[in-house]
This record gives sequence, C-alpha cells and structure tokens, in this order.
Amino acid sequence: MNGGVSGPLFSFSNVTGGYGATTVVRSAGGEVSPGEACCILGRNGVGKTTLMRLLTGHLPLQSGSVRFDGQSLDGLPPDRRHALGLIYCPQERPVFDNLSVRENLTLMAPAIDEGRYAPFFAAFPILESRMTQSAGTLSGGERKILSFVRGVAEAGRLLLLDEPSEGVQQENVERMAGFLHEAKAAGRALLIVEQNLAFALDIADRVIVMDHGEVVLAGAAADMTEETLAAHMHV
Amino acid sequence: MASFLGHSAALVAALALLPQLVGEFWAYTLALYFLYAIASLGIGLCWGQAGFLPLGQAMFFGLAAYLSGLSLIHFKDSWLLLLLLPAAALAPGLLAYGIGLLVFRGRTLSGPFFAMITLALTLLAFQIANSWNDVTGGFNGLKNIPGLPGLSDFTDLYYVSAVALGVCLIGIAWLRRAPAGVLWRAVSQNEQRVRFCGFAVQNVKAAVFGLSGVLAGIGGALYAPQQNLVTPQLCGFLLSADLVIWAAVGGRATLYGPAVGAVLIGILTADLRDEISYWEVILAAIFIVVVLYFRQGLMGFVEPPVERLWRRRAKRTLDGPARPAASGDTGFALDGVRVRMGSVRILEGLDLAIDRHGIYCLIGPNGAGKTSCFNAMTGELPVRSGQIRIFGHARTGTAADLLSRIGVGRKFQAPSLFPDLTVAENFNIGLWGGRARLRDLVRMRSHGWSSAILREAQSRFPFLAEEDRRAGDLSHGQRQILELVMVLIAEPRLLLLDEPSAGLSQTETQEVIEAIRWVGGRLNACTVIVEHDMTFVRELADRIFVLHQGRLLASGTVAEIQADERVRAVYVGASA
Amino acid sequence: MDPILTINILNVVYEVSTLAVVVLGLAVVFGLLGVMNLAHGEFVMIGAYCAFFIQAQNLPFLAAIPLALLVCGFLGLVVERLLVRPLYARPFDTLLATWGLSMLLREAVEAVYGRGFRSVATPLTGSVDVLGADYPSYRLLLTVVSIALVAGLVWWFVRSATGRRIRAVVNNRELAGSVGIPVTALARNTFVFGCCLAALAGVMLAPLLPVNPTLGLDFILKSFFVLVVGGLGSLVGLISGAGVIGGVESVVSAFLDRTYGYTTVLIIAILFLWLRPNGLFPRT
Repeated sequence: MNGGVSGPLFSFSNVTGGYGATTVVRSAGGEVSPGEACCILGRNGVGKTTLMRLLTGHLPLQSGSVRFDGQSLDGLPPDRRHALGLIYCPQERPVFDNLSVRENLTLMAPAIDEGRYAPFFAAFPILESRMTQSAGTLSGGERKILSFVRGVAEAGRLLLLDEPSEGVQQENVERMAGFLHEAKAAGRALLIVEQNLAFALDIADRVIVMDHGEVVLAGAAADMTEETLAAHMHV
Repeated sequence: MASFLGHSAALVAALALLPQLVGEFWAYTLALYFLYAIASLGIGLCWGQAGFLPLGQAMFFGLAAYLSGLSLIHFKDSWLLLLLLPAAALAPGLLAYGIGLLVFRGRTLSGPFFAMITLALTLLAFQIANSWNDVTGGFNGLKNIPGLPGLSDFTDLYYVSAVALGVCLIGIAWLRRAPAGVLWRAVSQNEQRVRFCGFAVQNVKAAVFGLSGVLAGIGGALYAPQQNLVTPQLCGFLLSADLVIWAAVGGRATLYGPAVGAVLIGILTADLRDEISYWEVILAAIFIVVVLYFRQGLMGFVEPPVERLWRRRAKRTLDGPARPAASGDTGFALDGVRVRMGSVRILEGLDLAIDRHGIYCLIGPNGAGKTSCFNAMTGELPVRSGQIRIFGHARTGTAADLLSRIGVGRKFQAPSLFPDLTVAENFNIGLWGGRARLRDLVRMRSHGWSSAILREAQSRFPFLAEEDRRAGDLSHGQRQILELVMVLIAEPRLLLLDEPSAGLSQTETQEVIEAIRWVGGRLNACTVIVEHDMTFVRELADRIFVLHQGRLLASGTVAEIQADERVRAVYVGASA
Repeated sequence: MDPILTINILNVVYEVSTLAVVVLGLAVVFGLLGVMNLAHGEFVMIGAYCAFFIQAQNLPFLAAIPLALLVCGFLGLVVERLLVRPLYARPFDTLLATWGLSMLLREAVEAVYGRGFRSVATPLTGSVDVLGADYPSYRLLLTVVSIALVAGLVWWFVRSATGRRIRAVVNNRELAGSVGIPVTALARNTFVFGCCLAALAGVMLAPLLPVNPTLGLDFILKSFFVLVVGGLGSLVGLISGAGVIGGVESVVSAFLDRTYGYTTVLIIAILFLWLRPNGLFPRT
C-alpha cells in the first residue's frame, strides 16, 4: 500500500455527468478508505448506476474529478483502471452470456486456480456444477453471483459493486455479506450500490443517499437510523 | 414567395446564358452532366433530406434510358413519343416507390440494409441489361438511337438538359421548403417520433425514394436521345457510385450541392482523367475526407446563409383543421399480456385496466416492466399472448402511427424530438400529424397553422414562443417540455408519459406537474405516467399502479400504496 | 462415381471453402468493431497483386505471402487509426468511409498496373486423380489449405485466450473493459488480422483468378451476401451462408452459365435482405 495510512484510497468530488447532453448526476462526492465499505442508497432512477459508470470510466465526466491512490483517473479507459486495481461488477449484463461459467472466471487468468475460487465454490456450489454451461443459461440471481465471485476473487484494492444482491436468494445474500466482511478485513475498500437496506446496513461503514441525481445525505452508517434511510428509499 | 420567384428567375437566367459564355463544346459536355446532376439531386433528397442512402440509383437512370431509347427506335417521329418519353421517365419512379414500400414496410432501422439492397438491385439490373440481348442489345447496348424530333445542334441539346435541370431544381426547392420537406428532415432525425406523431414513415420514405426514381428517370430518358447510345454500364455499379460521390462532395443536404457536385466533378474528371493519372485516387481521397470531416460538402459552405434569407417563418394565423371527433370508450385494458425478448421474460401476464379520465402513475423497481408496458401498448414490442384494448377496440400490435391518429399520445423518457429542426418545425410536425392531408403537405400555408393548445402552452412556457431556435439548443428541461407540448397539440385522449420529470430541476418539475394537470383537465384525457420521483407521484396521482417482475403487484391511492408491505419489500428489501 | 459429378462437387467445396476464408476476416471485424469494412475485398485484390509482383521479380511464389501480410497489415493499421477509430459509433459513416477507401485502393492499383487482367502462374501444375476424376492439383491444395485454415481459426477462436477475449468483447463490450481487456488495442489487432487474412486469400487465389483492380468488388459483395444469408450470429451461420452463396453460384454456373449463377446469388441476397435481414442464424 502506498496510498498513505490514513487518507482515502478512492475519492470523487463534484462529479457531474450523464448521457449525451442529458445530465443525470450532479456534483456528487464521496470517498472510501482501505478496509471500509461505503453504500450508495436511493430509489431507482435517482442516478446511482450512472454515478458508478462515471466513476469506472464508462461515461465521460462533464465536470468533477475522480482520484485513486492519489492519482487522477481522468480520461483513463476502464481497462487501465482495472489494471490499477479498480474492480467493477455492473448492475446490468453482469457476465458474458455467451461464454461458459469457466470462461467467465478464467478470461483474464490462465487457468482455474483452485485456491482462488475454492471458498467461493464451497459457498455457491451452483457455480461449480455449471462450469461448462454458458453463463446465459443461468438465472438472473446466479449471474449476479457469478459476477460477484469474479470481482471479489480478483486482487484489486477497490471493489465497486452495483446492486450485487439483486435477484439473489436471501441465504446467498448472507453469504455474499460474509465475503464482503472478509474483504474489508483484508484491507480492501468497497463502494456498493444497494437496494436491499438490511444487506447494505450489515456491511456499510459509510452511507451516501442520492435523490434527483444529487447526494442528499451522507455520513457514518452508525449515525443513521433505518427509518430515515427507508424513508428515502420507499415510496 | 417573391424571394422564391426571384431566386428561380436568377437560376433560369444563369442556365440560359451559360452557353454564350463557355462555347459549344463545353455546352455539349455540360448537357450530359446536367442529366447526371438531375439523378444526383434524387440522392440529395433521399440521403440529405430523408436520411437513407440509395447505392443503386443508376438502375433507375439506366431503366429510363433503355425505355426511352427503345421508344425512340421503334416509334421514331410518331406522336406516341409524347406519351412514351414521359412514361419512360416516370416508370423508374413507380418502380422505386414499389421497392420502397416493400423494403421499408415494418422495418424501423433500414440504414445499411436499404443501401445494400439497392446495390444488389443495380447489379442485377446490369446483369439483365447485359444478357437480355433481344431487347437491350446485350453488351453492345442500343445503338443509333434517334435524337429528339426537331432538335438538331448541340445548343438545342443543352437547352433541353438545362430546362429539365432548372425545372427539377425549382420543384425540389419548393418541396424542401414545403411541409413535405420538413417532414423528410424530421424522418431523417427521428423516425420514431414521426411515427408517434401519426405519420406512416414507410410511406413517406417510399415516396421520397419514388421521387428520386423519377429524377433519375428524367435524366435517363433524356440521356438516350442525347447520346444516341445506351449501354449496360448505365445501370451499373460505377455510375451508382459516382452519383453518390457527387452528391456527397457537392453537399447532400443542400439544394444545389448534388447538382454542383455532378457538374463540377464530372467535368473535372472528363478533363483531368487523362492528364493526371492519379485523378481517381485523389477523388476517392476527397470523398473520404468529406465523409470524415465535411459532411455538408462544398455547397454546405455557401448555401446556409442563402437559405436563411428565404426562410422567413410563416406567422401562425389560422387554426389547423380540427382532429377527427373522438369515438369509442375511455381508457385501455391490458389482459394477461406476455412479452419476451429471447429467454428474458419482460411482461409475465400483466393485467391493467383504466376506464375513466384522470392521472395514473405506474411505479416499480428497475426491470419491473413499466416502459415495456408502454412499448407493448404502442406496438413497439411483440406481444406473445394476451390482449390489449384501447378505447374499447382490440389494438394488440397496432402500429404507433395509427394509434397516434386515433388519439394515443406518447412522450418518451429521454426527450424524443427533432434536434436539428426549429421549435416551430417541431410544433408543426405535431400539428400536421393526424390533421394534414396530402395536399396540405405541399402548401406553404400549412406552416402557419396554429391551435388553441399551442397558444396556451406558449403563454405558460414563454420559451416556446421563441420558435426560430433550434430544438437541439434548448436545455434538457426545455426539451422535455417541448416534447410534451408536441404530444399535447395532437390532442390525445390517452396520454402515456414516460418519466416526464427525468433530469429536470425542482422548479422545472413543478412546471411540468402543473402542465400535466392543466392538460389532463383541458383534454379530458386519461393520463398514465411512469415515474420514479415520488414528490411528482404524490402530487399528481389519482391512483398508483405498482409493477413488479412484469406483473401488477398492487394498486391504490398514494396512502394505500405507502402502507402496503409487499410494496415495501420490493423497494427496501426484506427487512430484518 | 461419375467423374463429372466428382469435379462439380469438388468445385462447390473449393468455392465454399475459399469464400469462407474471405468472409471469416470480414465477420470477425464486424463482430468486434461493428464495422462492415467495404474495403475488405480490396485487401484480397492487393494480396493477389502481391503475388503478381513477386512472380514478376522472379521470386518464389511463397515469398508473396510475407509481402502481402506486410503490405496489408500496415495498410490495415493505418486505416484502423485514421478511418475506423474516429468513426466508432457512427456505423453508417464508417460504411461510407470504407467504401471510399475501397475506391481509393482500386483506383490506386489501377493507376499503377492499369485496368487489364494480369495472370499469375500456378505454382503447382498438373492434376491429381480423385475418385477417377482429373482435378487440378493447385485447386485441390487450395481447397485443403482453406478448409484447414478455417478449421484452425475456428479452433483458435474457441480455445485460445485471445479468441475467448474477442468473444467476450463481441458479447459485452462494456464489461470487457471492466474486467481488464484492452478493448481498443484488441479491436485494432483484430482489424489488422482481418486485413491480413484477406491478403492471404488474395495470394492463394491469385493463380486461379483474372487479377484486375475490380476483383475485390466481387468478393466484398459475395462476402456481404454470405453474412446476410448466414446471419451475423455464429460460425455455423457463416459457414452455412458461404455454403448457400458459394454452393448456389457454382452449381448454377455449372449447369447454366456464370451469368445465371451470379444472377441467382443476387436474387437470393435481395430476398434475404428484404424478408429475412437477420439471416438463417441471427445474433441473439
């Protein structure tokens, strides 16, 4: 680690952007330090996924800055960000549908490394039993698990997960939470978009609430009551 | 009008004087390239105006040339030529119109496919011309075609070509400025919006293609008597390609561009091909540079200021014809509607019925099927099973343009309008849809239509009165409102609004809320809104419908929905 | 078996397999970059002229292969940088630009070598006996090499790490960047590879073709038709498309004449474009 002991590993400020001329996210800011999880909450349509895509380089910033490990990420394409240690699991189309489960896991690694995936296969045996099947035949929740495993097993220092629990069965959501606690304990930083409030509060140290493309509430998770947060997410 | 006549007079004078200035040889050469120029103008209409590229225009040129050549050979000096020669020019137009109807039917994206079909057709035409020896003379073509009766020297031939080109240019100039031209440019920018304004886009495009066929036909019909020789190359790939290059380099979107390109490059080529061995290479490089960097072509640098002089906007002085009176019931009903995309289930037996006026909100998490519900209702998504009734009639899979004409209006999530047209032109497309008859589309006075709703909207939103602004220059919020008003001036009885407040500021949201309330009452319509913004929903909704996983999860008043535990589970997750 | 029938069957196989080599390059580029490279045929043509050039220098025929790969690889690199990449996400303009490029290459070769047909001598003369039929050795060799090439490439595409990554980008470009695939570089390499494959086909086919500047036009049209008929979805589609187009053309040509063969292919292509634009095996 060369990011300094106390400073945040990843920070973004004044991030504004959207699709074409349309601005979806306005002046969003936040940060995560190693060993810490930050959850982004909010109703659907408030710009959470757009913010993730702005942070991971899939959409250009209209203004603002994104810094990782003291370095500006401005203009870096997604694959270069990945090389620096930003691991991103998107919300939609989270896996390569026409590749097998095995190919999804070994795309950037020479072979299935038993040591690397063993704990995941133990927790999610469905993956191991579907190794040769194409990922497109998995259910929505199974695809999210595959994407989650691919991301968490990588060595990057920052994990960006966009709604990892969407469509996943409750028992598997709990297993995911377990892996995320381990990742935090190992000093990795997590930035997670979630809809499942219980899951989010289980892992979050920090919370960012968005509405209308803006950050409307931010702070330590311990300072927020579940009722306050639910009010922002429920109808 | 005066400027239009003055402009036309200047054009005629220039064409008439040219032979005196350049001499007989050049007049003769010019005459040939004038005919190509006419065909190239057709590409300008298709590609520069309506936005689809024909790569096989030579087949129409060649067809007309063969027809005209055969007529002249077999009916030399007969009065029948008075019928046959115009028929030779019109036949390719009919063919093109027919091809257009077939190819554009039921196809939303026709871009490269259309281009490649026309390319394949022109190759086929070449094969036929080349091998049908009995009729076309095969490889050697039709030889010794007599000239037009009564015309002898080169200058006469020049005047025939010049008159034809002049007439075509004047006609096109008229159509470009008429509502038809606005409609074409609208099609090139946003076919979906044109359909949802009530126009059958495939017919509009087929008509433009037909017109381009007539233009190529005029050129071809005059080519035969002028050159006295028609060979299969006239239907071929190379002439087709040249016509496209001329239109591109001259400026496909401008009035004169395609003609200037044809004459200028044609003559330069005739002159330089033998002197500069790399001339064709240079030409291809110029074409690439135009495609990459100067899409407006040569005349793009010259014409816009000239066109702006003419384009004085008509004052909105008369109300357009009233919309056809409403008939049938209020509202709609979806009955067990299923929609799938590949293996993904989008709607899983959706039941949803609304049978009275009012404002209804459709909410639900991502992927619940809200927008898909609208898409199924407006024929944008194929319905696997189930039934959709609108105003009491079965409308499963009915095309959007017909729905618009019977009173269904839809606003899309991202503003869907015509960014390169002015605000006035955007309104006009909305006004003409469902109201304008064919003859209204070629009359300048249709530009001056107005409607009570439009006037009210303009007094509510003052920026809408600045009608000369380019729609694409408006802010996001203003574009949302412009699209909303475009939909409203068609006076729909069923209004589908997909996230009308997306990307709006708080003040703009408030304005939109008021506008929807106003119009709902004004039109006595049934308004259905997909929305995430809960302030919006709470303020407007008479009733809320919650969708989840392609089904209706719950419905009720705002308070009922807020108290519903199932809805809470969907939104906040299974809370411990 | 009847020798005439044998020869006809071999001709169909020859036609289909050589066509498949040309289409494969076009299809991989289209899948990965979304670019229909209308100048693909001109790379075949340049490959054929490389063979002509090498023979004119009295060098061994095989020396044409490295030359063609060098020339077309370099051209592909330049074209990708100057034409394809700036127009990314403007597919229609890319179509026009590559079409302009095809004219440029055609006219450039014409300016150097003229319009006339050039002939390239067959490096392998004589014929072999196949089930009682006399078949030209070079044609047979070419058929075998083409089948081996297509099979090898398909195998590589399915099994190699790079092939996997190409399929990943085709499937989900956004995710591909996120998992660390350098999408831009991969797209460039794939484009260059497609050009080289066309060039290789050009060298191999040169002895059997009337080498002239418009040779590419035939290939691009036929290749495009193959993709239209087969669909852009899969290798199965590609091979069946090549089977339909190449097969119909050679069969009809054998029974009637080449004009009818060509006309039939055009009609089939038009019908597919019109009625079944996604082909036999559409991309899901």
